[in-house]
Amino acid sequence: MLPDANEIRTLLAGSGVDAEVDTVLLGTVARVQAADAIDALAAFRADGYESLVDFDGMDTGEAIELTWRLRSYSMDCEAYLKTTVPYDAEIHSAWNIYASALMPERETAELLGLRLAGHPNPKRLFTTDGIPPLLRKDVPIRSVEEVKNR
Amino acid sequence: MSDARDDIVTVGLLAEGMHDPGVPPAGIRRAPTGVDDLATEHLIVNMGPQHPSTHGVLRMLVELDGEEVKNAEVTLGYLHRGIEKLAEHRRFDALGTLMDRGDYVSGIMGETAVALAVEQLMEIEVPRRARWIRVMMAELNRIATHLLWYGTMGLDTGAMGPFLYAMRDRESLLDILEAVSGARMMFNYVRPGGVVADLPVSIEAKIREFCDAFDTYVDEHDAILAGNEIFQARLDGIGVIDAEMALAFGLTGPNLRASGVDFDLRKRRPYDAYDEMIFDVPLGVTGDAMDRFSVRMEEMRQSSRIIRQCIEGMPEGGYTAKVPKVLKPPAGEVYASVESARGEVGIHLVTDGGTSPYRMHYHGPSLYALQALEDLMPGYLLADGCIMIGSADIMLGEVDR
Repeated sequence: MLPDANEIRTLLAGSGVDAEVDTVLLGTVARVQAADAIDALAAFRADGYESLVDFDGMDTGEAIELTWRLRSYSMDCEAYLKTTVPYDAEIHSAWNIYASALMPERETAELLGLRLAGHPNPKRLFTTDGIPPLLRKDVPIRSVEEVKNR
Repeated sequence: MSDARDDIVTVGLLAEGMHDPGVPPAGIRRAPTGVDDLATEHLIVNMGPQHPSTHGVLRMLVELDGEEVKNAEVTLGYLHRGIEKLAEHRRFDALGTLMDRGDYVSGIMGETAVALAVEQLMEIEVPRRARWIRVMMAELNRIATHLLWYGTMGLDTGAMGPFLYAMRDRESLLDILEAVSGARMMFNYVRPGGVVADLPVSIEAKIREFCDAFDTYVDEHDAILAGNEIFQARLDGIGVIDAEMALAFGLTGPNLRASGVDFDLRKRRPYDAYDEMIFDVPLGVTGDAMDRFSVRMEEMRQSSRIIRQCIEGMPEGGYTAKVPKVLKPPAGEVYASVESARGEVGIHLVTDGGTSPYRMHYHGPSLYALQALEDLMPGYLLADGCIMIGSADIMLGEVDR
């Protein structure tokens, strides 16, 4: 179910967050500045979006785009929050707003080469030290020949 | 949370009035209080990655005071294959093969999530027969997944017999899935536009035969474990996840419904042909391990009910839409999710107009269940921790991806 874009705009404006809100094929998406992301998440949480059901990032070729997928069970709807951060940026953890952010944040930071601030356990989740951020576009996958000859 | 609905069944020992809600059931062992008076040196135990109770290559570092868990930390990555990166180098019709290797026990549902995402982007109208076939296959797969969980749940509590019975039934199911898709695990059956092949001749009789037998067997399965006093004592009141905690940790699927939250994507966001199916959503009351057990047992009955509806009402028509050999969705971004056996499987797909995804994020429910376990285990005995892992039904293939 899609929440109303105007309602989301009003909700975020009430928390002093300037957001661009649109309803697109993905759903109702609010874009905010990176510095406002935590405030925006807190506003969503206070408004009845009880659960962060997904968090991921994408290398756009110029920066890293982060997407939070929020669900309100009471209002039966989902909303998306997006922000863009530079490569190697430090992002602030949202774990004390949504506990479900704990591991997905570690995963995203590790695989896209970001640093985590305010996270209780900011370690790598899947890969070992020395492995480059695999989901960056400039990290190629190895061919069969390369793997054979390594 | 929800309107009053008649398609909900409440399950679990509490719902059956087997003990008073306020009184802890007899036989539950808890770490004795006041252990600080007899403090011993804490012991760090490395549980896994090959421990049978961890259900895959999960490694847990557990800090113990005697048998009481003081702290638990999950260590992951033993099965990390970089599925999301690999997806950026696969054609859209080949993404299902990667999903099969994520949650490798519930392949059909993972394949469906990817197919739905591509269909949304390309605005493909899937024929009604194909949608019904998908639903039937998904429910057969759901029973197969739950049976594996049921068997290993029995093993976790020291019961060997239920595992053997579960494998007997699962074998019949895998035969059916193999007859339809050609594979017993890595199905690669659901494709954007429909399914890869029509149902084989006379498969309906085989499926009906399975359902007839299974409807009796599932009650036996339930009675063997849930009717066992030891099993009840091991699960009842263990690992209680209330609704608030379930939502905070982003739980979905049976783990969420066991906490009493009425949310099933098949009902709330119907995809394929679920809006044409009649079935109930089982909900737990307390959110303990026993409720998670009961919800899954009832889900198997409901799946059987859906499969019967599919056999009886399977529409005629094509099994796939006309789609190009090489799929090239327009540039865009979608999120498609399905109710898999373990919870919500979501695909966040971003395309740039090419023949491969620009980015594919694969959301699996088990990672979120694991986070809750870290929070849940401290304060319980280590043996109870194994019950919590078992009752949460995690799948490391989709955690690591």
